[in-house]
Amino acid sequence: MPADKLDISTFLVSSIHDMKNSLGMMAAYLEDALAEPGSAPDPVDTQARRKTAQALYEVQRVNNHLVQLLALYKIDQAFYPFDPQGRPLADLAREALARAQPLADSKGIALDCECPEDLYGWIDYELVFGVVVQALHNALHYAKGRVLLSAAAQGSGMLIRVEDDGPGFPDFLLEQGNAAQRGISFETGCTGLGLYFADVVARLHKAGENTGCIRLENGGQLGGGCFSLELP
Amino acid sequence: MKIRNLPPPDFSRTSFLIVEDFEGMRAILRDILARAGARHIAQANNADSAISMLERTRYDVILCDLHLGHGKNGQDILEEARHRGLLAPHAVWLMVSAEKAAEMVTGTIESRPDDYLIKPITETLLFMRLSQQIAKKHVLAPIEIAMREHEYLKALRLTDSQMEGIQPNTPHAWDLKRLKAELAMASGEHGPARAIYEEALSLRDLPWARLGLAKIHYNEGRLDDARRELKEITDGNRAYLEAHDWLARTLDKLGDHEGAQSVLQRALTTSPRAPLRQLHLGEVAHRRGELGAAALAFQSSIELARNTPLKTTQAYLALSQIHLAQDNPDAALKTLSALSIDMYNNPAARLLAQAMQIPVRLKTGEHGIAKDLAQQLAEELKAKAQHLPPDAVFNLVVPLLALGDKATADALLASVIGNHHDHPEYLERAQAVYTQAGLEDEGRELLNRAARAATDIMNRGVKLSREGKLDEAIQLTREARAQMPSNARLLLNHAFLLIAWMERHGRETALNKEARGCIELARKLKPGEKRASELLTRLELLGSDFEFSV
Repeated sequence: MPADKLDISTFLVSSIHDMKNSLGMMAAYLEDALAEPGSAPDPVDTQARRKTAQALYEVQRVNNHLVQLLALYKIDQAFYPFDPQGRPLADLAREALARAQPLADSKGIALDCECPEDLYGWIDYELVFGVVVQALHNALHYAKGRVLLSAAAQGSGMLIRVEDDGPGFPDFLLEQGNAAQRGISFETGCTGLGLYFADVVARLHKAGENTGCIRLENGGQLGGGCFSLELP
Repeated sequence: MKIRNLPPPDFSRTSFLIVEDFEGMRAILRDILARAGARHIAQANNADSAISMLERTRYDVILCDLHLGHGKNGQDILEEARHRGLLAPHAVWLMVSAEKAAEMVTGTIESRPDDYLIKPITETLLFMRLSQQIAKKHVLAPIEIAMREHEYLKALRLTDSQMEGIQPNTPHAWDLKRLKAELAMASGEHGPARAIYEEALSLRDLPWARLGLAKIHYNEGRLDDARRELKEITDGNRAYLEAHDWLARTLDKLGDHEGAQSVLQRALTTSPRAPLRQLHLGEVAHRRGELGAAALAFQSSIELARNTPLKTTQAYLALSQIHLAQDNPDAALKTLSALSIDMYNNPAARLLAQAMQIPVRLKTGEHGIAKDLAQQLAEELKAKAQHLPPDAVFNLVVPLLALGDKATADALLASVIGNHHDHPEYLERAQAVYTQAGLEDEGRELLNRAARAATDIMNRGVKLSREGKLDEAIQLTREARAQMPSNARLLLNHAFLLIAWMERHGRETALNKEARGCIELARKLKPGEKRASELLTRLELLGSDFEFSV
């Protein structure tokens, strides 16, 4: 086959796999470094530890973006294997917290979670997990001292919230009826990928006439930004 | 409610096998497991060494990467390990993948791993999923053992008693319900399976439940309903591979070969490394006369299935036939020699690899070689006729008649008819062969005799058993089975007699095994046969060798 006939998407998908492998290794090494003995913040190496945690966060951020791009590509090309399964939300919360904890520690932010052990939802675990981790990373970025992840039953579905005590979302984000559909905003330098992804994921979850959705608000329990994911 | 932190697990007594081509990743997994006290950690960096390690040791946990570079992938290893019984009943198989892939949804109970882990693998993720799955498999092990013994009714009973202790609508309850539905399907009990699938669909549009419903429609002959449900799953999404395979099968049966071909091609763009799907595509394309596409598909099927339990003689024979039709006898011979090499321990395959050279040699004008071959093989062909696939027989008898070897051709065709005496399509094809050779009347008589012989044996068996002469009846059907090993009706009759005998005289392990073998084979030959599941129930009521308390 001549080179110019090759579909660029083939390279994209296989390179993303490759990059994800490397990032996974980097993340594991950095986690190892953070888990070294004497892991309670030690005044001598605080600086080094903070930078390691920061590096871990950046690695995870790139990883999240790749995961989101790949999932969006597959959804767009109609071959994402959407597969809602009955899963306990507490498991998802624990995994998401474990992902965000090193960054929270390095920034001295208290990361709390409220989730009943017996809350189950029909969710595509990987997609919802991606949304929650992204929201946690965002919140940690803007929080002053506290971030709260909560999940609760709501009607026959559930409500997942990520709140912080930071300055809250800027008005231009809140003003949009559906922030996610704005797409890319070059003015703010924010790609909008995370929100767009969250919106797509929410809307893939359906039960009868009901469809999932996302909401951005300010205030909430901690007075800062509050991201909600409602799933039927 | 604040979320609890889970205590770290203790893996000091758990044995692990890590299958991963990337040393860095193996080290990471090893380190994480070691932090939970794991001491028995074996590693393999490719599929072949994984298989040979699984042959020697029954591991508690297998962590296997889905993508292992070239050659077999993690899914192939899992299926081979299950197929060959290389896993302990309590073994946990976690498949590791860079992303959520199409292979991960739907699939059957035999093809699904216990769970998938998406990279990056962290300690929390690994410990949590492992602890859950180890606990779950511990509880499910008795069900797994019953399934391996093909005792589906017992497995169903065990599943029901598991479900009693569980809160409805929790994930575990739905795991068990899905398992129960699959077991019910395996034992031919469509009712309970259907109820579960419909309940699931009332909650959510779940692809696996819709697929289950479609399979019930298909098995009960409602092909239009099956097609409707399957299209609902596949329309707009090509990730649900198994639904594509079933849709192709359904369309094929409905006579829409073109539709079947395009559905298979679509599934293959998502996941090309599927030997059975390639085989099916080859068959459909071949039937439509698209020889080029068919040859490509058969070739891929052969290459993908080589060194796996999925290899079939069909792919080689069909490919060689296509090469011949395309005036490429060299390639046809090459394919046949590949067949005898790849399947050297299958006597029927070796015999066919030689015999199918006869039409090739005839086409190239090498009459002498063809005649010698036919002479050499005549006795073996007659002796093993009942083990040869009907399609191959039909391709072979025409050249045999052309060479004047009517005796062998007669024996081969009579055997096909005996094995499939209630299959009018084969009767028609066989008659057409004779008619074409100018032997219309002679052929008709011979074929009728073969079909009558089969029916006579059935009738004599029934008569003997009515007269209470069970031993004589069993003797009769057992001998007939050796001559007609693929006759589903005969197999079920034989199983029926064996079961009746045991119901009267008590259970005997050897007879039990013989009866079960007959029923399983009959179900493979004629899926959806009601009598098979009735007999299976009666057989299970006789008890088993390995009773265990619940």
